[in-house]
Amino acid sequence: MIGSFFRLGIRQMDVQLRMRVLSLWSLGLFFTQPAVFSAIGMLLARAAGNTSPDLIYTVLGAGIMGMWSGLVFTSTYDIRADRREGTLELIVGSPTPLRRVVGFRSLLNILAGSTSMLAAVGAALLIFNYSFAGINTFGVLISFALLLFALWCMGIFLANLLAWSRLSGTFVDLLEMPIALLCGFMYPIGVLPVWMQKISAIFPIRWGLEGLRESLKGSPTGEVLATKWLLALGISLLYYLLARWFDGKVHDHIRVTGELHSI
Amino acid sequence: MPPDTDVQAIETRSLVKTFKTKHGFLKRTTRATEAVRGISFQVEKGELFGLLGPNGAGKTTTVKMLSTLLIPTSGSIHILGQDILQHTTEVRKHIGFTFGGARGLYGRLTGIENLRYFAELYAMSPQQTRKRIDELLGLVGLQDRGNDRVETYSSGMQQRLHLARALLHDPELIFLDEPTVGIDPVGARELRATIKQLKAQGKTILLTTHYMAEADELCDRIAIIKQGQIVALDSPSSLKSKMTRDSYIELKTTNENLPALKNVLARLEPASEVNYAQHAFGWDVNIRTLHPGEVMELLSPLLSSNLIQTLGVRNQTMEDVYVAIIQNGEA
Repeated sequence: MIGSFFRLGIRQMDVQLRMRVLSLWSLGLFFTQPAVFSAIGMLLARAAGNTSPDLIYTVLGAGIMGMWSGLVFTSTYDIRADRREGTLELIVGSPTPLRRVVGFRSLLNILAGSTSMLAAVGAALLIFNYSFAGINTFGVLISFALLLFALWCMGIFLANLLAWSRLSGTFVDLLEMPIALLCGFMYPIGVLPVWMQKISAIFPIRWGLEGLRESLKGSPTGEVLATKWLLALGISLLYYLLARWFDGKVHDHIRVTGELHSI
Repeated sequence: MPPDTDVQAIETRSLVKTFKTKHGFLKRTTRATEAVRGISFQVEKGELFGLLGPNGAGKTTTVKMLSTLLIPTSGSIHILGQDILQHTTEVRKHIGFTFGGARGLYGRLTGIENLRYFAELYAMSPQQTRKRIDELLGLVGLQDRGNDRVETYSSGMQQRLHLARALLHDPELIFLDEPTVGIDPVGARELRATIKQLKAQGKTILLTTHYMAEADELCDRIAIIKQGQIVALDSPSSLKSKMTRDSYIELKTTNENLPALKNVLARLEPASEVNYAQHAFGWDVNIRTLHPGEVMELLSPLLSSNLIQTLGVRNQTMEDVYVAIIQNGEA
């Protein structure tokens, strides 16, 4: 049982990597785009006379932008491609729940997306001699893990939306930039109007990202970080539970509407 | 829960499927399309059952409901004794299905990689998977191409790989939706031979096809669907024997001789039905009659006068039965 679960995971991720992730398009999405964003941001920040830790927003912002865009586009593309290729109905018609397939695929998408962060950090280190001395390493590791978990939970939730209807892909595409703006990917969240800050609180990415920034600034592991971690974890779990609840509805809905294949 | 051995493979009662589509942007209207309208039939274990019908008759919708991919609007389906709505996952373990066409495979993966991928969805062990893939590639004649990417396969090879995929977990019941569509005659013959082998192994098969000769050759029983309803259901021989009163006489003539021939054949109507079809070099004339002797007596002298190029009588085929039922409403 456990063996077949892991074999399914490895096979899903292997196929996902070869079919969907290893392509020139993905290379641009995950690697080139964040490196360019990072470099432009650093140039602008330096031209404005900013020094570290303000540059954290530029480096992390470019990295998270790549991870988020990667997640949105790969998750969108996965279900659309399976629907178009006629494999979605074969997956749904097997004894394995679609959520398990989507879960493993989203995990690979997130891991592939984390190369965006490496690209952004690489650009900061190599081109701009940025220093990470004095960071809270433990805090960085925990915050980054929570950020990945937050992205994964949102990924499986969005994948459900895409499975629900052929048309929902457009809606998910439209989410990319608003969420980047609301969660303050490239600037402190405090610069946003209060009402926007309140909306952004429902996205666990915001809290994971804030934890990461605090840790990179060297803030000690204490109440501030713990609060952000708890919020990131708690809201992520809510998305996970929502996705699980929604999963059963999607399974029934697509079999009523007949939207398992493309028009 | 293992399937009950004494029950029928498929049992459907009053199956209805209505699709609702929404139209309009500001003023939303809902349009309902009844794809299947009250279908009931049973398939015995080990039987090869055919579903025939024109495009849009509801064949694929029926197969998708039977294979748990669509939920019926009303009615019930029991597969191997289990209700498909209550035991969906359990039913899926015991059925395999293919849908016609090239879709449903990952083109950038090899044939073997595709099969391994789908084997994991059925929680097969690595040993079982290796054994089944070897067996099935042999069965469908792809043992030499298993390591090639599927995008390099011909339509026929993709169709055969589909069949191998459907058989991976050794299902008791197999749904084959137009398995020979788009395949050349040699490939189609090989696929039919494979289907016969599966039947010989005791598998229950539900087949949909547009090829009447294929249905006649393979199926134990055939249901003909028209506008979402079953209009005939019997064995191929019984379906044909129900219309044995008719004989079919076929002849060929040239463009120049057609008017003279039409004058002669007009004498046969309305007792006999005469159909004309033009081709590149002249006309094919098909006469459906209750009195073949009289018709032949009338037509034979025309052979010597060159009004007719060829003349022959043939037995009634499944296609004649199908056309009579679908076009003329006979059943």
